[in-house]
Amino acid sequence: MGLVQPIEAWAASTPDSVALRLEGKNITYKELNCRANRVANGLRGLGIKERDRVAIMLPNIPEFVYTLLGALKLGAVAVPFNTLYKGGEILHILKDSGAKCVVALTNFAPMINEIRPELPALDKVILTGERNLLFAYPGSTALIQLILQGDHIKDIDGAYQKIGRILLRIMEEMGVKEAWYKHRGSIRVRGGEKIATFVISELAGVALINWMVFLGPLDTRDFMRVIRMPPEIRDKVVEPMTSVQQETGRMPVWNQFKETVVAAIEHGFQVEIKEGPMLENELIAYEKLRSIACKAR
Amino acid sequence: MKQKVFSQERRKDQWRLISKPDGDIADVMALPGAVVEAQIAGRYQVASAVTPGTVIIQGVRRKGILAGVDAAIDREAASEHDVDVACQPRGVRPAETVNLEEMMIEASDEFVSVPTDAEDLACILYTSGTTGRPKGVGLTVKNFLGEQQSSEQALKVTPKDKIIGVLPFFHVLGLSNILLTGLVSGASIVLVPQYSPANLLRNIMESRPTLMIAIPTMFVHLLMLLERKRLHLPDSIRLCVSGAAPLPIETIEAFERCSGCRLIEGYGLTETVAACCLNPPDGLCKAGSIGVPLPGFEMKVVDADGGKLAPGEVGEIAVRGAGVTAGYYNLPQDTAEAFRNGWFLTGDIGYQDQDGYFFVTDRKKEIIIKGGLNISPREVEEVLLRHPAVKGAAVVGRKKGEREEVVAFVTTRREVMAKEIVSHCRQSLSSFKVPDAICFMETLPMSVAGKVLKKELMSGYKDERKIERKDDGLGPAD
Repeated sequence: MGLVQPIEAWAASTPDSVALRLEGKNITYKELNCRANRVANGLRGLGIKERDRVAIMLPNIPEFVYTLLGALKLGAVAVPFNTLYKGGEILHILKDSGAKCVVALTNFAPMINEIRPELPALDKVILTGERNLLFAYPGSTALIQLILQGDHIKDIDGAYQKIGRILLRIMEEMGVKEAWYKHRGSIRVRGGEKIATFVISELAGVALINWMVFLGPLDTRDFMRVIRMPPEIRDKVVEPMTSVQQETGRMPVWNQFKETVVAAIEHGFQVEIKEGPMLENELIAYEKLRSIACKAR
Repeated sequence: MKQKVFSQERRKDQWRLISKPDGDIADVMALPGAVVEAQIAGRYQVASAVTPGTVIIQGVRRKGILAGVDAAIDREAASEHDVDVACQPRGVRPAETVNLEEMMIEASDEFVSVPTDAEDLACILYTSGTTGRPKGVGLTVKNFLGEQQSSEQALKVTPKDKIIGVLPFFHVLGLSNILLTGLVSGASIVLVPQYSPANLLRNIMESRPTLMIAIPTMFVHLLMLLERKRLHLPDSIRLCVSGAAPLPIETIEAFERCSGCRLIEGYGLTETVAACCLNPPDGLCKAGSIGVPLPGFEMKVVDADGGKLAPGEVGEIAVRGAGVTAGYYNLPQDTAEAFRNGWFLTGDIGYQDQDGYFFVTDRKKEIIIKGGLNISPREVEEVLLRHPAVKGAAVVGRKKGEREEVVAFVTTRREVMAKEIVSHCRQSLSSFKVPDAICFMETLPMSVAGKVLKKELMSGYKDERKIERKDDGLGPAD
């Protein structure tokens, strides 16, 4: 007798009784069992076998339960861990357990990506939920987006290296000393404080590379007042950060920053970049989306 | 619109820069390219308008959050603090990842579970220990089944039960005593993914649970909220259980008085798949005690050599039973040190009374040794908490030369002088136990289980959250 058999028995004997309830919506034992079966089959399809470690970094959402039961049905070993853990801690757990896959919220993708090259056993990163949070602060945050066609990004590792180098060059031009880039996503200074970050996403054959550069100190207090989180653990949510101003003693001039960025991208990709407005179809899409975003407020 | 629409004809290899020196957060999400054309059945579709080879540079004019659609944002607070909130479209997937929902849709819902042996590992749980690096605790199928049986019996869980699932399932108490005990017993679990006192109370009122298992801080918050709103908990609740951290007796009394519900304290460890000791739900509940061993567990208090101590004598609490881990994952040395003659040494200091009830007094690792004398941090903390201005207290030992000093970290309700706190301590503590230093803090570092993370208060604490640079990183010279 295993751990999942009693639950399968309830699914067979009382299929319509409620197993999970979330915000007034019920998930019955039968539904729970079917979804756990789907996860088990899906994991098997990804090459996960008995005794493989399946790390789970999820809050108390139904997907946690589907994944846990799916992994157990498959005879795999579940490794649930704290959703508040940050880079160094996640690295320790994934490495120590030898996890073959990790199931996490989408917003943890950049962090997991960053440590992924140090985790040879980690084969699959499975994401769920759209809980990304990006905080923009006047005078502090510069956002850069790069949209590239498939041929520039066939080699994701190469793309991460290239963007990392470009960002390092920008940091050097701006006078930030001791900036370093390990891999995949974050430019850090000295002991590991984050000064810039980027994520490569895919969308219909196009790569979107979103960068954030911290120009001035980021005041996170208002941000913390707005996200729902108990006060004792709020300071654990944000990684240690720094900014160009804190590192160099002066706030970058916007036009110079822009020129530096453009020059670094031109150099990195060996292209010429011309300034211009949006095209008509872009403008239409942009206005549409902007109105959706505003309505959602 | 300020931007001019201009010719779409351009050279193929030429990249474009679109810059907006100042934008607000809605601009950020609506940057061309990231973009979407229409909203279809609640999901977004990609626009055909993306122009490869585009660079967009943008500054930010207003404070704002760009949030994924599932992020929990307090919109009232946002408008109060002048923070713009914009929603991010669905469907953008980080490179080289798998989407869980897509994986599930494509898979069959029929599966024959792989048979397991009792000794097979089911889970590895990392102890969020208050000292040192997280250690993986290997928990087998047998451990879980043993624990499920014990807790099902002790808490009398039936398919009629509805249990509040507010404790994180990555924590042993949530995973074992709520999620698995509940599902194995055929009960319902009410999921509360984001804890806030108001959110918990709303879920309790709406779902009318029968059983609530939580941690002391949650009961304290709930108590404050009930008092403020002059509310009682619904009469559907037959029992509340607190675990994972010590529950002050005053809290039990105040909570029971205010909520109208029975609140009992239990005790367990990751190494025992959660609860191994509990005040009997229908029997005598002793103030300050963690109760008696659950069916399937044996407990005793031992001296430094592993010898059993008589009732009343203080030593280390040891436990054995089907629910006790076989050991730490890949750590044979730590495993060997944690067991003696088949008994697991909990690292908790305490005693057993004449009636067989256990009491925990301290964590072994946290005992301060000053000039050869043992000092219980808990004892000092209790005295500190009796001062009316002190809200929270954590006492740790700090090396000073060859000896250890007693350092008290406190949070306060109002301004108070360190001198006043020290003289308050002098009234009830022997002089060697009186804190050598008082440090005022805004908050104490807490784990999700509501325990003070003392390691963060000790000298030489290293922030494990940071990613460190190793030799394989690129620097400015690369």
